[in-house]
Amino acid sequence: MLKYVGKRVLLFIPTLLIISILIFFIIQLPPGDYVTSYVAAMAAEGEIFTPEQIEGLRAQFGLDDPWYVQYFNWMKGIITRGDFGYSFEYGRGVWSVIMDRLYLTLAVSFIILVFQYVVSLPIGIFCANHQYSVGDYALSFIGFIGTATPNFLLAIIIMYIIYIRTGNVYLGLFSTEMLQNGMRWEYVPEFLGRCLIPILVIGTSGTCGIIRTVRAQMLDEQARQYTLTARAKGCSEAVITYKYCLRAALNPVVSGLAGSLRTIFSGSTVSAIVMNLAIQGPVLLAALKSQDMYLAGTIVLIQAVLVLVGTLLSDIALAWLDPRIRFSERG
Amino acid sequence: MSGAKDDVILRMKDLKINIRVDEGVLTVVRGVDLEIHKGETVGLVGESGCGKSLTSKAILGINDKKCRAEGQILFDAEGTGMTDLLSLKPRGREIRAIRGKQISMIFQEPMVAFSPMYTIGNQINEATLLHITKDKKKAKEISLDVMKKVGIANAEKRYDQYPHEFSGGMLQRALIAMALVCNPKLLIADEPTTALDVTIQAQILELMKTLQKDFGMSILFITHDLGIVARMCDTVAVMYLGRIVECASAVEIYGNPMHPYTRGLLGSVHKIGTKGQKRLFSIEGTVPLALNLPKGCGFYERCSKRIDGVCNVQDPQLTDLGDGHRVACFACAGCPGKEEPVHE
Amino acid sequence: MALFKKKKATDESYYLASQWALMWRKLKKHKLARFSLSILAVLYVLSLFADFFAPYGLEEFSSVYKNTSPTRVYWRDEDGRLSRPYVYKLKKVNDRKTFTVIISEDTSQKYYVAFFVPGVEYKLLGFIPCSTHFYGLVNEDGVPDRSARLNIFGADSNGGCIYSRILFGGRVSLTIPFVAAAISFVLGILLGGLSGYFGGWVDNVIQRLIEVLSAIPSIPLWMALSAAIPPGIPVAAMYLYITIILSFIGWTGLARVVRGKFISLRNEDYVMAARLAGVSDFKIILKHMVPGFLSYLIVSLTLGIPGSILGETSMSYLGLGMKAPATSWGVLLKETEDLVSVAQCPWKMIPLIFVVITVLAFNFLGDGMRDAADPYK
Repeated sequence: MLKYVGKRVLLFIPTLLIISILIFFIIQLPPGDYVTSYVAAMAAEGEIFTPEQIEGLRAQFGLDDPWYVQYFNWMKGIITRGDFGYSFEYGRGVWSVIMDRLYLTLAVSFIILVFQYVVSLPIGIFCANHQYSVGDYALSFIGFIGTATPNFLLAIIIMYIIYIRTGNVYLGLFSTEMLQNGMRWEYVPEFLGRCLIPILVIGTSGTCGIIRTVRAQMLDEQARQYTLTARAKGCSEAVITYKYCLRAALNPVVSGLAGSLRTIFSGSTVSAIVMNLAIQGPVLLAALKSQDMYLAGTIVLIQAVLVLVGTLLSDIALAWLDPRIRFSERG
Repeated sequence: MSGAKDDVILRMKDLKINIRVDEGVLTVVRGVDLEIHKGETVGLVGESGCGKSLTSKAILGINDKKCRAEGQILFDAEGTGMTDLLSLKPRGREIRAIRGKQISMIFQEPMVAFSPMYTIGNQINEATLLHITKDKKKAKEISLDVMKKVGIANAEKRYDQYPHEFSGGMLQRALIAMALVCNPKLLIADEPTTALDVTIQAQILELMKTLQKDFGMSILFITHDLGIVARMCDTVAVMYLGRIVECASAVEIYGNPMHPYTRGLLGSVHKIGTKGQKRLFSIEGTVPLALNLPKGCGFYERCSKRIDGVCNVQDPQLTDLGDGHRVACFACAGCPGKEEPVHE
Repeated sequence: MALFKKKKATDESYYLASQWALMWRKLKKHKLARFSLSILAVLYVLSLFADFFAPYGLEEFSSVYKNTSPTRVYWRDEDGRLSRPYVYKLKKVNDRKTFTVIISEDTSQKYYVAFFVPGVEYKLLGFIPCSTHFYGLVNEDGVPDRSARLNIFGADSNGGCIYSRILFGGRVSLTIPFVAAAISFVLGILLGGLSGYFGGWVDNVIQRLIEVLSAIPSIPLWMALSAAIPPGIPVAAMYLYITIILSFIGWTGLARVVRGKFISLRNEDYVMAARLAGVSDFKIILKHMVPGFLSYLIVSLTLGIPGSILGETSMSYLGLGMKAPATSWGVLLKETEDLVSVAQCPWKMIPLIFVVITVLAFNFLGDGMRDAADPYK
């Protein structure tokens, strides 16, 4: 088992390198660079730069090198000094910009991940155990709608409904009072309420996906011979469902962990913009638009690393869950 | 029912099984009457799709939800006496106390009969813990003991191994161990050797015979292989299209088959010692679809002895020809026009 | 062993029917899939003939009608008698007291709803000059009048008819996923096939590539890629760029399936036989292996389409995809960006219904096809 984990971790490094190259390549792909968009923005305000000044800016930021040299310097900085580069837009180090929102982003993503599994597993099991019942149809229908609605629009709809019901607009995770007075205990209920909307919005499509997987898997497993064997042995339905079927049905759910993370990051990027959440999404969009490339690159890179870690964890969990995989890896 | 002179432990009365499908309701088992006595091995023979597997699963109530069984299956249950198994809730406590404890079952494909997620020991022991003792240490002892009895060498080590580390034959032994661990009155064996190599087949059959003597149980042996029936069974029931068409002792069936279908089946078995080039006999036609059953005898269209105007009009009933040899055929047991059956 | 010969002729046609015929037969039985298929057919026909079905052209705006609600259609005249359906024109009134502009109905004249009325000129299917529209308004003399408008789904912030724009937007939103799917399809079969058929280092490289691509969350990746689209390019080129970006990720899942299938098929006897007979690798792949799992590929493609529809919507919504005057459902939904405009003009959410219905229809169709792909089950 240890050897297997070690092997996986080693494989992790080259993949990560390729990812970073790819991301950097794509990020610098747009024509022009930060200086171009900066100069354009300044020109709009009436300040005109001379070509010499522009060249000076480029040289100062190291933007006159070819992209692979820039990549190499960026990587060198990350590996040797833990320096993720400089954010032109914010005028300080990328890492400190990211740290502003990193914990909240991770917390929101983690809560959504947990929410997805906590909600979808029981519903999926229920649907499979009551196949073709009214409950199954109703839940499946809601599930389908959930996957079919783009989640940023779901955000608008939910906010609209809340607005109509309460007359309040809940934008962002913190109210103005909270921001002014700092976090106090009496704000906790409101904060949790504000968290609920993003969780619902970002988590819904993933939740519905997992419900469908769990349901299909449970039905598959229930049709297997060993279910019949267990029943013939005198096992109760609960034992059959939880000990036998669920255990086997968990495999694809566990291996979908990384996929879930991916959809959460994707969903939260757009939804955060709509809901004005203080997480990484809006920063990324702004950075991409203004070609603040080290910032954009680092955000995407962090997300990719987290997905990779998710893959790694789910592979290890899978090996731990399924003796067949465990043994083939041992040999 | 203790002390009755007939030692019947299981009696099916007019068992019918319906399956709901998209196109309507199929009656797949159309009235089966069968008795199993104490210590007896009954062979249920028929080709694929004749309903023999459904019949056997109906005893335990483990058929799919789409299937509905009618009629009666009386079982001499411990404590409660003759009980109609069909009247018990299929997911209820009473039937679960019978499953695995008093009636157990082994299946066709041992490779998929165990969950790949748990050790063999865990899965065998589950039955022990459910029905015999809650004491884990004692239960493991009992399970190990049965594993040894069914010929699993090195049982202590095997106990902690997973199904994928077992061979097919070994898995079938483990499955038998799981079925026998509670010392059941009746063992249902649904084609237990079909998926195995011929040599392993012989070993398993031998094992079952020995175990039957040791445990004193009855066996309902379901198969399409007449060779196995000849070797294993005391009584043989031949099933065709959801009905028993002939039922007699094994000696009688082989020595004096009556129903044209039984004869056809026997004719299609290759006998060792017959001289060379003779072609195997094959029965003409295919089994009619259960959805649009023809009127009259189900075998009418394929039968060589059919009597037009009788067999395609009326459905023959099982009729005793004497010595307990029962057959459902107008050509063998006389036409209803000529008045009633000889016996009864 | 019993040997049974001779199957009935009717049975035989079932066993001999081609894979596609069986799939189609099975699919027709799947009610939800059949229903979805007809919904999709309607949507595609509507947007193919958008010029005809839409009462107004893509660039027909009316400043009076900016942000107005769906036009009210009257069924009864002033006396309450049933009448031919008619509408009133909207007019701007300057309120001198409050200094605001009020839009109200001008009840002096009725405009009747009529079918097959002439309107803005267009070329049907791109080459047949035509000016007839499915419906429009005529004045009391029966002469077509375009000063009044019948916006059944209301108007957007430029005063364009949302219904018309949904149909035109459908041309983009409904075809991009298809083209993207086609590109994914080719890439998936090609790369997955190479990977599975040859194995070795080819397999290794392609597998790493897939792993890398599927580790990056799709929307950030799409955002980064669309940021790279040079601004101010023609609509057609924009369309192409977006399609390519959307298929950038789509192929990886497909390639995995294809690879798995190739690995299992590679060792089949018939492939071995073909190879021993000296058939070229290319021909083996195309003639002997791909047909064996084509139905599965089509199913996974169908199930992949909703993803690209939602992707296009998100990108346009963020302002990274199509831009006005070109339209797509995402562009239309961009108007619902903030809560205020939704609260004031809830009808601007109508395009969402089209998105949801289309995505659902593709999902159900894919589900039905998945069941049908296994025809003997």
